[in-house]
Amino acid sequence: MDSEALTQIVERNQVWPRMAAKYGVENPVPPWKTSLDGLCDALDQGSCGTTAPSFQERRDEEDVLSATVYSDLPYPENQLVSLAHSLMARGIVTESELQQKLSAIRARLEA
Amino acid sequence: MTEHHHDHDHDRTVKPMVDEITDFEVLEIALRELCIEKGIFTAEEHRRFTEFAEQIGPTPAARLVARAWLDPDFKSLALAEPMTASKEVGVDWLEPTGFGTPSDFTAFQILEDTSTVHNVIVCALCSCYPRPILGNSPEWYRTPNYRRRLVRWPRQVLAEFGLYLSDDVEVRVQDSNQKHRFMVMPMRPEGTDGWTEEQLTEIITRDCLIGVALPKAGVTTNVITATRAAMHPAGD
Repeated sequence: MDSEALTQIVERNQVWPRMAAKYGVENPVPPWKTSLDGLCDALDQGSCGTTAPSFQERRDEEDVLSATVYSDLPYPENQLVSLAHSLMARGIVTESELQQKLSAIRARLEA
Repeated sequence: MTEHHHDHDHDRTVKPMVDEITDFEVLEIALRELCIEKGIFTAEEHRRFTEFAEQIGPTPAARLVARAWLDPDFKSLALAEPMTASKEVGVDWLEPTGFGTPSDFTAFQILEDTSTVHNVIVCALCSCYPRPILGNSPEWYRTPNYRRRLVRWPRQVLAEFGLYLSDDVEVRVQDSNQKHRFMVMPMRPEGTDGWTEEQLTEIITRDCLIGVALPKAGVTTNVITATRAAMHPAGD
């Protein structure tokens, strides 16, 4: 599964250790971490009977992807991008949907 | 003009923050919104799980152990009926969030260390962890490296955390799973006679409750350890 959007995100490398150092922030994890935790829990609960990955599939795929395709990313960035990868590999999220959503959210946050 | 007396420190009151929108922040929101739009979960469900993730931490587990050290009856309760003892420190395993956590429901057991047995927990399969009472797992706990090596070479891995156990101490590695969670009840260290529950709670760190460290008077922080990539990643 190749995603232009995810490749670009990995290449831009706005990972938390780098951003935190740039701004002198001490928090060890990014502020979106607990929202990602909530997202994973909600997905685990909601995946039953859908095409979404189950808890076990999600974690197994995260382990494999974090050790291979996304091995340059730290945690929890590797967890986040692996989750995106898993959702896209199943066709739950398409490349164009993700691209549109990313642009719309960035525009909203930067308004 | 009135002189501005500085009885507060601006550097402390206004912490620096990352002043740009990062791709990862945007990606997290995008995935969440797409899942909500597709009906996989609701915004309300996400909010409640996120609140759960925000409020959990290792303090209830530390308090439980401190109380057990001070009160033999409570210790017996903790070992015999861990769910009941957990309730006394504010954790209801049957309703940890008040609305259910599918990957957290479980049987819960507290593993007592003795002078001849040391316990340490792992989830060899994924990263199951006693979240309601111990908070979110540290990054290293999730790594295949810790998970695979701990079950095979526990003493070697514990030594990497700075924990060297003598050969006459048996090491028991307890493997968690989706239905069964554990935490460690370490032994009370020397130099803590007369301490209050509050004081004892401070030295019972997350790492002590996982079993990769032992409580020590004066030590209130976790071990900082490097996160290593797996040498034989899944899928090889």
